[in-house]
Amino acid sequence: MRTSPVVVIALKDLRQRLRDRSALVLGLIAPLAVAWLVSAAFGSTQTFHMDVGVVDRDRGQVAAAFESFLRSPELRDLVTVTVVPSEAEARSKVDAGTLDTAFVVPEGFSSAVLAGGGRPLTVLGSVDTSVATQVSRSLASSFTAQLEAVRLSVATAVDAGAPHAQAAALAQAAARIRPPETVAAQSASTRSIDAISYYAPGMGIFFMLFAISFGSRGFFLERAGGTMERLVAAPITPSAVLLGKSLATFVYGVASLGTVAVFTSLVFGAYWGPVPAVVALVVALALVLVGLTALVIAVARTERQAEGLSSILVFGLVLLGGNFIFISAAPPLLRSLSLLTPNGWALRAFTDLAGGADWTAAVTPVLVLLAFAAATGGAAVLLRRRVVTP
Amino acid sequence: MSQAVMTEKAVMTLEASGLTRRFGDRVAIEDVSFHVAPGETYGLLGPNGAGKTTTIRVVCGLLAPDAGEVTVAGLPVAATATEAKARIGYVPQEVSLYPDLTARENLRFFGRLYRLRGQELRDRVEEVLELIGLADRGDDRVESYSGGMKRRLNIGASLLHRPELLVLDEPTVGVDPQSRHAIMESIANLGTAGMAVLYTTHYMEEAERLCDRVGVIDHGHLVAEGTRRELVARVGEKDRITLSATGSLALFAEACRRIEGIEQVDTADSSVHLIATDGRRRLAQVLAAATVTDTSVRSVEVEEPDLEAVFLHLTGTALRE
Repeated sequence: MRTSPVVVIALKDLRQRLRDRSALVLGLIAPLAVAWLVSAAFGSTQTFHMDVGVVDRDRGQVAAAFESFLRSPELRDLVTVTVVPSEAEARSKVDAGTLDTAFVVPEGFSSAVLAGGGRPLTVLGSVDTSVATQVSRSLASSFTAQLEAVRLSVATAVDAGAPHAQAAALAQAAARIRPPETVAAQSASTRSIDAISYYAPGMGIFFMLFAISFGSRGFFLERAGGTMERLVAAPITPSAVLLGKSLATFVYGVASLGTVAVFTSLVFGAYWGPVPAVVALVVALALVLVGLTALVIAVARTERQAEGLSSILVFGLVLLGGNFIFISAAPPLLRSLSLLTPNGWALRAFTDLAGGADWTAAVTPVLVLLAFAAATGGAAVLLRRRVVTP
Repeated sequence: MSQAVMTEKAVMTLEASGLTRRFGDRVAIEDVSFHVAPGETYGLLGPNGAGKTTTIRVVCGLLAPDAGEVTVAGLPVAATATEAKARIGYVPQEVSLYPDLTARENLRFFGRLYRLRGQELRDRVEEVLELIGLADRGDDRVESYSGGMKRRLNIGASLLHRPELLVLDEPTVGVDPQSRHAIMESIANLGTAGMAVLYTTHYMEEAERLCDRVGVIDHGHLVAEGTRRELVARVGEKDRITLSATGSLALFAEACRRIEGIEQVDTADSSVHLIATDGRRRLAQVLAAATVTDTSVRSVEVEEPDLEAVFLHLTGTALRE
């Protein structure tokens, strides 16, 4: 069977790209390495946890209630409590990073509270654990506010005529009362996204975009080296040359992002979403890659110009698109700007899919990506009708 | 030099008629017409910028002419004329290969573009590597080759599909003498294999050695064409015969003046200088005259006018100016 000249040219280009170590590094190794490094650095951004120490110098009823509060089921996922014998040891452990923070319950705390007064709870923190320190202060405030509420309840009851002898029972009853409504944080998605599930697509797309530089530079090198002249002199049409080169860019893009997806899923446990939706997104992104490469070729006049334009384009897109940051945590303006970029749309889709959304979440982004591909490819054709010239 | 077949216009491999190509206001070639027969090597001789490369690019379908027509084996040539282009082997002026691929990979790639497949492709790649003397270096990347080896491979890549017309654009520019000799040998053999060859050069020696016919091109115009002897005859240049001799040189000179075709005779101390048409054919009569006049001839030198002189006569400028 006769192989189409389009395939012959694409296979030649891919062979050359495989020989180019920088293309291999940028296309496959770098995205895997950077995705792993970034996710390792940031950890799971949605699962905050802290180790706290409690120094109980009071040994009283309220101090015990405070420790019970910290060990309550509501805080179990947030806080791990360790009892520390002295404030000095607690301070030492916080400084060493063994504990994130420590609470010091002062001597006479319980009797002071029960007498209607109060003594401050001390929170020990460090500059390295500013978030944990802030959360610990909030927990201490929450507990003392609850104590204040109980105290006010009992005082009000006694003023209304309740016997003083029942004050303790009243206090216990008031302490059991919970606010009638609570606010529960609930994600729009059915599962939380860990860092690797966000940064794997982010880095994969970022490095995939480098194919714009390879594709456009290769085109100008072919022209400067005279091989384009040979191609045009061969018994093939100019469109076959263009299609062959586009096919090579497309395959490189799919292979690059596809490999990152498979590898990060199997090795790092990243979740990309339902396979058909992920495949559709990867294919659509690769088509965008072809369109952007064609656009750079159409605009640039020399290899150097192509290289410069590619760099500007890639870094502009990844900065706006949110490849380096959780776009959902970015300011509203940046979130809006990210939707001006194809990678922004793709990342939004991958985030939704990784968060548990079904395949329909990818439909609109895929359509938008196809529109990007058509627009950039069309612009390339309009800008330079005779791209394939010797 | 191969045997030219020039009389049967019906079987011409290449027909170029009235080719004109402009770049803006500049006329690169104007009304250029010539043909190349099967087995014939046709040289386009002219200085840099004369229009040789433009003519070749039009012939190969790389440039569309503003006027005129090119046919190869009767098929019109254009950018999309794949059938006509399949019959042409084009050797660009610069080495046009992929340096990061091996010679075999380069040849396989270009062979596939020229519709070779499977065993035929494999066989042709090996044959061409053998032909250009690179069989033992076929798996080395082209970037590791010397300039001469690259040039040979540059030609080999155009021979894979056994083209009916081989077009070479100054293939020996920048080549060392040894490789140049090898390239010229290869091209001389192609003509004998029945392939039509269109060869551009600004080296007069190459045109004289390789080409059955030569077209002299200058400032975009084909100013003359024919065999070397036809061109020389056309411009009226004569041969110079110098004899180193002893004896009665005056009698000898007088005898030479009576030989038909000898137009001028001068004597010096121990030599006689003759100007003649078709000098080599007059030699026998000249030597007979020496015998009759009891003159002892020690050496004979015949200087025929070359294409350099023809070019100078036709254009008023030297070829390498």
